[in-house]
Amino acid sequence: MLELITPLFVSLILGGTMVGIIFGSIPGMTATMAVAVCLPLTYSLGLENGLALLLGLYVGGISGGLVPAILLGIPGTPSSITTTLDGYPMAQKGEGERALKIGIVASLAGGLISLLVLYLFAPALADFAIKFSYVEKFLIIVFALTVMAALSSDMLMGIFSGFLGIFVALIGTYDISDGGNGKYRLIPPGTEYWLDGGFSLLPVLIGLFGLAAILEQAELGVPKGHSAGDLQVKERSKFSFKIFRGQGTNVVRSSLIGTFVGILPGVGGSAASILSYTNAKTFSKKPENFGKGEPAGIIASESGNNGLTGGALVPLLSLGIPGDSTTALLIGAFTLQGIQVGPLFIGNSPDTWNAMIIAMLIANVAMFAMMYFAIRYFAKVVTVPKHLLFPIILMMCVIGAYTINYGIMFDVWTLLIFGIFGWVATKLRLEIAPFIIGFILGPSAEVYFVKSLESFGDLSIFVTKSWIAVVLWLLIIGSVAGSVMLSRKTKTSV
Amino acid sequence: MNDLTKVSIDFERSHLVFPRLIAVVLAILLVAIIIRDRQRILNALPYWRGVFEAMDKPRFFGALGITLLYFSLMVPVGNIWPNTGRGFLICSIPFVMTVGLLFMHERPMRSVISLAIVSVVGPGFVWWLFTYPFFLTLP
Repeated sequence: MLELITPLFVSLILGGTMVGIIFGSIPGMTATMAVAVCLPLTYSLGLENGLALLLGLYVGGISGGLVPAILLGIPGTPSSITTTLDGYPMAQKGEGERALKIGIVASLAGGLISLLVLYLFAPALADFAIKFSYVEKFLIIVFALTVMAALSSDMLMGIFSGFLGIFVALIGTYDISDGGNGKYRLIPPGTEYWLDGGFSLLPVLIGLFGLAAILEQAELGVPKGHSAGDLQVKERSKFSFKIFRGQGTNVVRSSLIGTFVGILPGVGGSAASILSYTNAKTFSKKPENFGKGEPAGIIASESGNNGLTGGALVPLLSLGIPGDSTTALLIGAFTLQGIQVGPLFIGNSPDTWNAMIIAMLIANVAMFAMMYFAIRYFAKVVTVPKHLLFPIILMMCVIGAYTINYGIMFDVWTLLIFGIFGWVATKLRLEIAPFIIGFILGPSAEVYFVKSLESFGDLSIFVTKSWIAVVLWLLIIGSVAGSVMLSRKTKTSV
Repeated sequence: MNDLTKVSIDFERSHLVFPRLIAVVLAILLVAIIIRDRQRILNALPYWRGVFEAMDKPRFFGALGITLLYFSLMVPVGNIWPNTGRGFLICSIPFVMTVGLLFMHERPMRSVISLAIVSVVGPGFVWWLFTYPFFLTLP
């Protein structure tokens, strides 16, 4: 295991973590964008080294969001929304650095607890999932889509977006290598040359998360950056680890909530931090202090959103289903190296699995060390002008899309098509996360569905195949019913 | 009852089974959305008018236009020096510069000079990185 830790491997994790923190620290830029932009760099690195870089970016990107959340009252990433509620009031009281350090320590705890869950839980789940036939695999995908849609802000739109993602993924040939008949479908006449293999995953992802985000910023007039004077980093009271006394339950509970939310497909870090924060407030002896600069609020939010990092890798590495949009991009890294993630991955690629665990561990420790000891410097990143960053990011998006299939210009146009689609989709209230998961899982869902019917010739097989199928149906019905009840309850209370 | 659930799939037409199923589900969901959000759909025109009025049109459409031009020129320029990646390099420098200028709020000489440096060094470094250490051909 130790032979995996080469100087290059460690340097890539450290570099990835640092760049991730920088991306997370700049409002409007996310961990997903960092991974999307740096993905083409993994071509020549090999799988383990490439993943080291991407996992560093992931951990750093999620953690960096707390910097502007606390110092400016603007969440750097959606997962830091609730950090602003108590972080910014603390910063205004002259406790900016203290608030940042509370958040950093909580982030480390959340990251490590979720890593432990990943290490213990993913192999067990993968062992169990190996026994799944096409029927159960299809139902797992349906379950993933319903859970994701049920947890969307608008369930109907969430389901629609998921199915739209599947539909778009079906464009092209019904691949012979998947047991298909090699015939075209859903291709407009005259576009067979470009759409033969459908839209490539990575240009779609880079378009939706890179270009669309920059178009959104352009629409808003590229809001001016912040000057060093805006940063509330004055220090009137020193940070001490004593602040965590009595917060053990909060840390563990929030980290586990974050991990659980991460395991649910397509549910982002914002849900993890909101759920953790709400729970911390509910169980607190002083709930009235929340929102006024209560350290427990920062602890809950940050351990929750970093708890997501390990959790989101559980379904990816055991079932091949990404837990969030950033882990969806990691599928791209595996695809680049010709490796398919799924139940057989951990057993067949123990070196890669171990490398990922080590990379996550080092990334969490590096994130802590970098941010804890150099937070004043990272805080200044917030002031980097966007007019310098955005054109470079756009250029990197182009490289990512172009090099993904070794130089196909149509992939660059795909990037533009889906960048514009991503911008329009948010205006139409379509949900991007279910769309992405539908897009990724659509081709597999088709193979599992059609092959099940070809083998058994009966629709009832989806219920009668095994007890696992029955349990999955109960879970599917339960998640939809739960969501409908919750939405009715919310409407009544409004 | 058993016959109702029986399905036989013709392999020659198997490529259409799943897309049709998904299309039907999408149509049903679309109808449900139209019924539920009819008021919002009826107000779509004023909504989009509001979006266009509120947006920073020069920056939004400018960025989109420059990006379109950038993508369109990269290959023809690259074809002048095939397999060298110079199409990317030559088009990226003005692209980064113009988008940067477009996104700037004030344009003092100092900021323009830093942007000019970034727009030469950024694409230059990336071109070098992909052409030499990574051996990946850019347009």
